[in-house]
Amino acid sequence: MNAKAQKAKGCGIEPAYYDAVTQAIRSEAVKVLKEGAVSAVIGYLPGRRKSAAVPAVVTTEEEAGRLIFSPACVNNLSLYLTKAKKGILPGGKIGIVAKGCDLRALAGLMGESQIKRDDLFIIGINCAGVQGAVAAGNGQLTEASIAKKCRECTAHTPEGVDFVAGTLPHLDGLTPLEAEELARIEAMPQAERWAYWKEQFSRCIRCMACRQVCPFCYCEQCLCDKNRPQAVESSPRPAGNTAWHIVRAMHLAGRCAGCAECERSCPMDIPLNLLNRRMAQELKELYDYEASMAPQEKGPLNQYKEDDDQSFIK
Amino acid sequence: MHAEQVKHDFEPKVVAFVCTWCTYAGADLAGTSRMQYPPNVRVLKFPCTGRIDPVFILRAFQKGADGVLVSGCHPGDCHYMAGNFHARRRFAAFRALLDFVGVDLNRLQFSWVSAAEGGKWVEVVTELTERVRGMGPMKEFKELELEEQWSASLSTPELKAAYDSIT
Amino acid sequence: MPQIITEANLRSLIDSLVKESKLVVGPKEAGSMVLYQPLSNGADLKLGALPRRSSKELFFPICEDILTFGKEDGVTKVKDVDRASFPDAVLIGALPCDAGSPSILDAVFSWDYNDDFYLERRKKSTIVGIACTSCDDACFCTAVGYAPDSPAGSDLFLTPLKDGSYACNAVTEKGEKLVSAHGSLFKEGAAADAAPLAAPDTAKLDLAKIKEWLNTHFEDPLWQSIADVCLGCGACAFICPACHCFDINDEGTPDHGTRRKHWDACGFGKFTNHASGHNPRDIQNKRYRNRIMHKFKYYDDKFGKTLCTGCGRCIRACPVGIDIGDILNKINVQAG
Ligand code: SF4
Ligand code: SF4
Ligand code: SF4
Repeated sequence: MNAKAQKAKGCGIEPAYYDAVTQAIRSEAVKVLKEGAVSAVIGYLPGRRKSAAVPAVVTTEEEAGRLIFSPACVNNLSLYLTKAKKGILPGGKIGIVAKGCDLRALAGLMGESQIKRDDLFIIGINCAGVQGAVAAGNGQLTEASIAKKCRECTAHTPEGVDFVAGTLPHLDGLTPLEAEELARIEAMPQAERWAYWKEQFSRCIRCMACRQVCPFCYCEQCLCDKNRPQAVESSPRPAGNTAWHIVRAMHLAGRCAGCAECERSCPMDIPLNLLNRRMAQELKELYDYEASMAPQEKGPLNQYKEDDDQSFIK
Repeated sequence: MHAEQVKHDFEPKVVAFVCTWCTYAGADLAGTSRMQYPPNVRVLKFPCTGRIDPVFILRAFQKGADGVLVSGCHPGDCHYMAGNFHARRRFAAFRALLDFVGVDLNRLQFSWVSAAEGGKWVEVVTELTERVRGMGPMKEFKELELEEQWSASLSTPELKAAYDSIT
Repeated sequence: MPQIITEANLRSLIDSLVKESKLVVGPKEAGSMVLYQPLSNGADLKLGALPRRSSKELFFPICEDILTFGKEDGVTKVKDVDRASFPDAVLIGALPCDAGSPSILDAVFSWDYNDDFYLERRKKSTIVGIACTSCDDACFCTAVGYAPDSPAGSDLFLTPLKDGSYACNAVTEKGEKLVSAHGSLFKEGAAADAAPLAAPDTAKLDLAKIKEWLNTHFEDPLWQSIADVCLGCGACAFICPACHCFDINDEGTPDHGTRRKHWDACGFGKFTNHASGHNPRDIQNKRYRNRIMHKFKYYDDKFGKTLCTGCGRCIRACPVGIDIGDILNKINVQAG
C-alpha cells in the first residue's frame, strides 16, 4: 500500500495542522526569549532528512524562529532537564516544548524533585501524534507510520502548561496495536512467554540507548554499570541482557511516563514498552496509580497502605 | 531421635533472603528447638526485607537457585517501622514482572515469619523445597548462561565448563 | 571474459559451503530487520536490504570469551580460549560499506599488538561483496570515497546483472580459490547489462580538507552546537562497521569466571572515567568530538585511513537525529 492510500484511510491529519502548531511555538518562543522570561527554549529544529527532527536548546530569537513541530518531533525533551544532561542548559528559567506524553514525564520529574515547576515555562502541544520509527518515515504521518503509543494516546491535550500551541484536529480512532500485543503475550502459557522474551532480549546489544533516552534513568551511577560487585553482567550476552531488562523494567515501575522513547530508540527493535505497560497496568490494578500530567508527591512504590494486598505472602 | 533422611534424585537449591530481626531469629528458634527442616535452604541475612533488592532474587536464579524464599517481619512488626510495607509493594510488582517475562512464580515464595514462629519457618521452607523438588531444576536461567551471540558461540568447551560450575 | 553466477547457483554455493562445514554468514531476515547471521542454507540469504548491524561482528564479536579461570585445589588455573578452533568462514552478500571495513580495521588490530582473536578470524574468512542497488537518504558512501560498486575489501565481488545473475570479479587469491573450488557453479560468458546501481544523493567530501580543519579545531563552538543534545548511548558505535572499541570484563566469582571482550563506545560517559573519578571527557560534546576526531583525524594520522564507509547506519539509529553526514558537510564548508 502506498502512503497516499494509507492517508486517505488512516490518520487524515492535514499538514496545515503541523504548520499551525509550528507557528504558535515559534511566536511564543520568540516572545518569551525577547521578554527575557526564559534564558533558553528546548524544542525541535528540522533535520537534514525529511523524516528527522533534532532536539535543540535555542537561546536566540533567530533560532527560536526556526523551531518546528512535525511528525518527526518524537523526542521527549524533558530528558534535557535532568541531571543526566547537566551542563548543557544556561541558568535561569527554561522554556520547553512538550507533548502530552512528555508532560507526564515532566510531572514525574517534579514528583521526584528533579525539577521545579517554577523554573519552567512549558509550551504544551495539542498533539495529534508523531511517527514511530524515524528511519522508516518519509515525514508524513500515516496509519502505518504513526507511533504505537499515539494510537492509544490519552494525553492529546496538555494540562497545566503556560501556553498551548495549536488546536487539535479531528482524530480517527485507531486500533490499539500495542494493547493487543500485550494481551496476546499475557495470554501465552508461561513457557511460551519465556521463549518470547528470550528471543527478544537475545537481540540486545547493550548500546544503552534505552537508558540514555529515558528521562527517569538519571542515576549518576547505574546499577547495571557497576562491576565491583557486579549485580548485572555488563556483557551483551543473553544472560546479562535478560537481567538488564528485568532490572530496567523494575527500576522504572511506577515512574515510567509511558513516552515509549526507550522502545523507539532501540536499534534492535526490542518491544520495551510492553514491559513498561505491563508494570503500569499492574500498579494501576494494585494501587490505583497512573502516571499523569499533574505531579504526584509519591510514586506507588515509595508509599504504602497498611492494608495493601498480601495474598501472595504466606 | 532424628527422623530418617529420605534419599531423593533431585536436591533443589533454595536460597532464603531473610531479615535479621524476625525470620532469622525464627529460623534460629527452629534450630535451637531441634525442629527438622530440609537442609536445601541457604539462608542469607539482611537488616530488613526493605533491603532485599529484587536484583538479589534475580541473581540467585541466575547463579543456580531452583527456588527462592524472601521472608521478614509481619506487617506492623518491622524493626524499622515500614521496611516490610515498602518491600511488600515492591515484591508484588516484581512478581508481576517475573511472571510477564515467563518465570514460574511457584519457585518464588514470600512469607512473614516472626522470631517466635520456628514452626512456621519449618513449614514454609519444607513446603517450598518439596514444591520445587517436584518441579525439577530451574533450567531457564542456566540455559541462558550457556547462550552466546552467534558471532561468539564458537568457544564451547570453556562455556560448558562455566555452565557446569553453576551448580 | 568474466565469470557469471546465477542467483540459483549463488544459493547452491552457500549450500555447498555449509556442507563443507564452513561458517557462512550473510544477510538474513530476523524479525523486523535484516541482520548478518549464519546461513544454514542458500534460501536464507536475503539480498537487497542493508542489514541493521554491520558485518564487523564476524571478526569482532559483540562479546567473546578470552579466557576462563577457576580454582582447582586452591590454585587458580587459567585456560585460554583456543583461537585455532575458530572456523573457516565465508561472508557472503556483504555490501561495499561493510565489506570495506575489515581492511580498515586490520591496521589497528595488528599494530603494536597482534589481536589474534580478530586476526585469526580474519585470516580464516573470505569476503564475497556485492554491489549495492538500493539506498536511502542516510547513505553517503560516495562522499567518503566508497561507492555502491566499490570492491574494496572484498575477495570476490559480485555485480548484479539485469537478467538476475551476477558478474563475479575475483579481487584476491582467496576469491579466486573460492571460484575454482566451486567451478561448476560459475560459467564464463558475456555479461548482460549491469543492474542499475544505488545512487546516494550526497556531494563528495574533501576528507583531506576536513582533516586539516580538525587538526586546528579541537576547541570550537561547533562541537557544542552539534553535540550538546547527544545522549551518550552506544547505538551509533555498535552498529557502525568501523567502530572497534572494546572493553574487557571479568564475570563470575573470584573462584570461577570468564574474561570477556565486548563492544564499548567512546560516547559512553564511563569510557574515559579514571579510577580517581576524574574524567577528561567530562561532558557529552567532548565525547562526540572524539567520535569525529577518531574517525577523520586520529586514525588517518596513524594508519592513513578514515574510519567511515558512509553506510549511514548511525544517522538512522541516532535517537536524537545527529547526522554525521550533515556534520561533515558543515566542516567541509567551514574548511573552505
Ligand atoms: S502519545 Fe499522545 S501526546 Fe504523545 S506523541 Fe503520541 S499523540 Fe502526542
Ligand atoms: S536500546 Fe535496545 S539494543 Fe540498546 S541496550 Fe536498550 S534494549 Fe538493548
Ligand atoms: S521507561 Fe521508556 S517509556 Fe518509560 S519514561 Fe523511560 S523512556 Fe519513556
